[in-house]
Amino acid sequence: MPMKIAKATFATLTILFLVAPLIAILPLAFTSSVILTYPIPSWSLRWFEELFFADAWRRAIVNSLIIGTGTTLLATVLGTAASLGLRNRLILFRGTVRTLFLLPMVVPAVVLGVGMQVLLARFGLTNSYLGVIIAHTVVAVPFVVVSVTGALAGIDERVELAAQSLGASPPTVFRRITLPLAMPGVLSGAVLAFATSLDEVVLTLFVAGPNQRTLARQMFSSIRENISPAIAAAAFLFIVATVAIGLVVVLSRSMLAKSR
Amino acid sequence: MAEFIRFDRITKFYGPLCVVENLDLSIDKGEFVSLLGPSGSGKTTLLMMLAGFEQPTSGNILLDGTAINAVPTHRRDMGVVFQSYALFPHMSVGDNIAFPLQMRGIAKAEIGARVKRALDMVQLSALVDRRPSQLSGGQQQRVALARALVFEPRVVLMDEPLGALDKQLREQMQLDIRDLHRRLGLTIVFVTHDQSEALTMSDRVAVFNKGKIEQIGTPRQVYDEPATRFVAEFIGETNLVEGVVEAVQGAEATVRLASGAQIVSAVSGTVASGQPVFLSIRPERVDLSETRGDARNVLETEVTDSVYQGDHLRVQLQNATHPLIAKLGRRSREFPPGTRVFAAFSAGDCRVIAP
Amino acid sequence: MSAASSRTGRSLLLLAPLLVFLVGFFVWPLFSMMSQAVSDPAVLRLLPRSAEVLRDWDRASPPTIPMQAALMEDLRAVDDDQALGDMVRRLNSARSGFRTLMGKTTSALADTDNPPADLVSIDKRWEKPEFWLAIADALSPYTDRNLLAALDLGRNAAGSIEHLPPDQSVNRVILVRTFWIAALVTFACACIGYPYAIIAASLSGWKRDLMLGAVLLPLWTSLLVRTAAWFILLQEQGLINDLLRGIGLIDAPLALIFNRTGVIIAMTHVLLPFMVLPIYSVLITIPKNLMPAAASLGAHPLRAFLRVLLPLSLRGVASGSLLVFISAIGYYITPALIGGPGDQMISSIIAFYATGSANWGMAGALGVVLLVATLLLYSVYARLSSDEPGRR
Repeated sequence: MPMKIAKATFATLTILFLVAPLIAILPLAFTSSVILTYPIPSWSLRWFEELFFADAWRRAIVNSLIIGTGTTLLATVLGTAASLGLRNRLILFRGTVRTLFLLPMVVPAVVLGVGMQVLLARFGLTNSYLGVIIAHTVVAVPFVVVSVTGALAGIDERVELAAQSLGASPPTVFRRITLPLAMPGVLSGAVLAFATSLDEVVLTLFVAGPNQRTLARQMFSSIRENISPAIAAAAFLFIVATVAIGLVVVLSRSMLAKSR
Repeated sequence: MAEFIRFDRITKFYGPLCVVENLDLSIDKGEFVSLLGPSGSGKTTLLMMLAGFEQPTSGNILLDGTAINAVPTHRRDMGVVFQSYALFPHMSVGDNIAFPLQMRGIAKAEIGARVKRALDMVQLSALVDRRPSQLSGGQQQRVALARALVFEPRVVLMDEPLGALDKQLREQMQLDIRDLHRRLGLTIVFVTHDQSEALTMSDRVAVFNKGKIEQIGTPRQVYDEPATRFVAEFIGETNLVEGVVEAVQGAEATVRLASGAQIVSAVSGTVASGQPVFLSIRPERVDLSETRGDARNVLETEVTDSVYQGDHLRVQLQNATHPLIAKLGRRSREFPPGTRVFAAFSAGDCRVIAP
Repeated sequence: MSAASSRTGRSLLLLAPLLVFLVGFFVWPLFSMMSQAVSDPAVLRLLPRSAEVLRDWDRASPPTIPMQAALMEDLRAVDDDQALGDMVRRLNSARSGFRTLMGKTTSALADTDNPPADLVSIDKRWEKPEFWLAIADALSPYTDRNLLAALDLGRNAAGSIEHLPPDQSVNRVILVRTFWIAALVTFACACIGYPYAIIAASLSGWKRDLMLGAVLLPLWTSLLVRTAAWFILLQEQGLINDLLRGIGLIDAPLALIFNRTGVIIAMTHVLLPFMVLPIYSVLITIPKNLMPAAASLGAHPLRAFLRVLLPLSLRGVASGSLLVFISAIGYYITPALIGGPGDQMISSIIAFYATGSANWGMAGALGVVLLVATLLLYSVYARLSSDEPGRR
């Protein structure tokens, strides 16, 4: 019996440790005071107003959306195509190529940032949206590859052979069988790519100019230099955005499944 | 019956491994041919090449006189049924079956009618809107069959389609497929490793071993007149006894066994005097009696074991030099172990096989 | 045959864009960083003629006329003051005295009224081989100075490797600190994560979903948000201190931020999922009836754990630990925001060298050290996770 209680206590405490910080920060987004402490004197939306109306924050949000969308598109296209190509077992050095595709997840972002800054300068891509999108894509694409490869692995190859035997040409097989069956993986990958771009600070520090400051970058500076509840409001936005996108994906997946 | 499918000197290598070796096979229109053999004997590979999923290393595949090596799978117009069913998981049963019709640009109304007919044929009309994941194995198999037949293909290929089903369902499906074959007059190429399945369903059976066909013939031919030792042992059960040919008289030969006994046997092919051969004697053709009797061939044996198997009695015997098995009908006597009995069989019940 | 090769062609076509993209924007930057770590063009750029002439010098005899003439010509041709400054600094760090020597030489050469005949006439030091040696060594476009400095090593006048003086030896301290913090975090994650994973794997239904959800939720939220949350919570007037004072455990607020404790707490929170998930995924492959079987054979629960569950789950613990450690050594944001000056990890130093003082050589060198460590650990991790359980 005491073992059970000990286990339950430990599990509960750990769950609290994992989840409480995230929950604790959210109400502070609605505080009316300028300092980030509890108890909250009164509720107010002023910090959200600041986020949407203060120049620095507003531009940061817009930049994040632009860069996030660009990264998602580029990473999803590149990653999905590459995952489809990786299915072919006859490709030389298939394992090495796949490891290369996953390496950006492992290499520390600072190291990559140092190299990228010099490279982008050489191409004249510093201080540009394209440069930041490229940098974010490099670290986002492994997530797409993992997600899509996983979905593709779950497709029984015989199903594609069957479609061919029933008269479907290779492009038709891709369109009506492979892609629909891989779509959940593609969508998950896209969401992960967006989340990665949204959250990416270190690379952005190296490659973004003052006009491409993302929300994450802005939050980072804000915490370091000028702490205010605007950070909590931004954090709230972050969480809401990620949850919303996740919900959209889950809902669209179940809707797709039902409509067939 | 006209020749419809022809394999002409087909060879297939996977790297250094030869899977099919210089194989010739001819299948008539409307025929049900089984490709029978153990795993790795090349039968599935041959089927895959016919479907277009694999290419032969050399040799030609002809359909109705034309070589189809270069024709891609989706234009070969063959229905394929896989062992794992390969139903489209994201489509309903009805959509699965409609798929090949959509590929051929058939009008929607017509598609609906033909899907309905196909489902009626396999008795699954009520399940048209279900997903494959909601069906049992047997139901999925029948949907796969309906899907492969709905577009009235010229040839139907089946790759061990009943392997994943339990015994009773399998036997029922065997009869159903045979029935469909008769009714629709389809040309069917059927791969299996189960010899009783091949014997039940086929017009002809091709027995595969290590990439070659050892014998092709009607079920009766491959069972009663096995041409090689492999065929004799793979199909049904047999007693194989070694001996040397003493004399040949027309369609019969006299063979001397190691124990000195002489057996007169029917012969497949030609053998010469002095040639070492095998004798294949089917257990169910052996009669046991305590008296010698006047059969052509009689061997003195002793009963070592006797097991009741429900529909027959399996008796293990020991002759002076070799063991034998006899299968007796349920009405026969049970001989307790140790009894001395005479095993008798006629010349036609026995077959000489060159090793 | 042709169908298979056209399939392969199609597959290669699909792979190509990402491959090219990553080679260009991932592999190339890494190489460029590595080459920066070893490149040293400060002197070569400005003294091309001297480079040519010095190639034939035997490094022992006194400087010849052609050598002096080449150097004078090169120095006269210099018009970029900053590049000159870089070169002088570079030479001076190899041999002190260059600053004054160069200053004297360049102003003498700039004097058009009274052009000097040769260098020795400007200053006697040009007679000695030592200064020429320093120039000759600095002319190589490659150097190991940065890489050695990254490990607090340097070459002395004789050319052999030795430790740098303490006031220049900060890198090794930081490297050790980085690995130490990462080790502490890994240990904390293992202590909390392993039991947590065991409990989660032994439950089912909503309880297991709850435990897994609690682990996945932080993964889904942004790292920045999580770090910001801890930043707020760990303050002196933050929630944690208020809570602890409220329930009477402490009187004065604990210093939880801008110090090692805060960094460890925050990083453990962030990295815990990376420990729990690998262990959990290994645990669920263990048949559920093993522990009851051990019990039926007479094993006390603790012994059953030690001899059955622990060995079987060790692979997961090793994977998780490697994953956490590899992530921790590369961390930048969390230590930067939550740590004090004594908690800065190697990534901060790299960032400082790159963006702060534009010392790309050092940034690259430290980057190489971090990269090599990461790749080595990752190859161990990859081998560990590809050893499937059935293959013994």
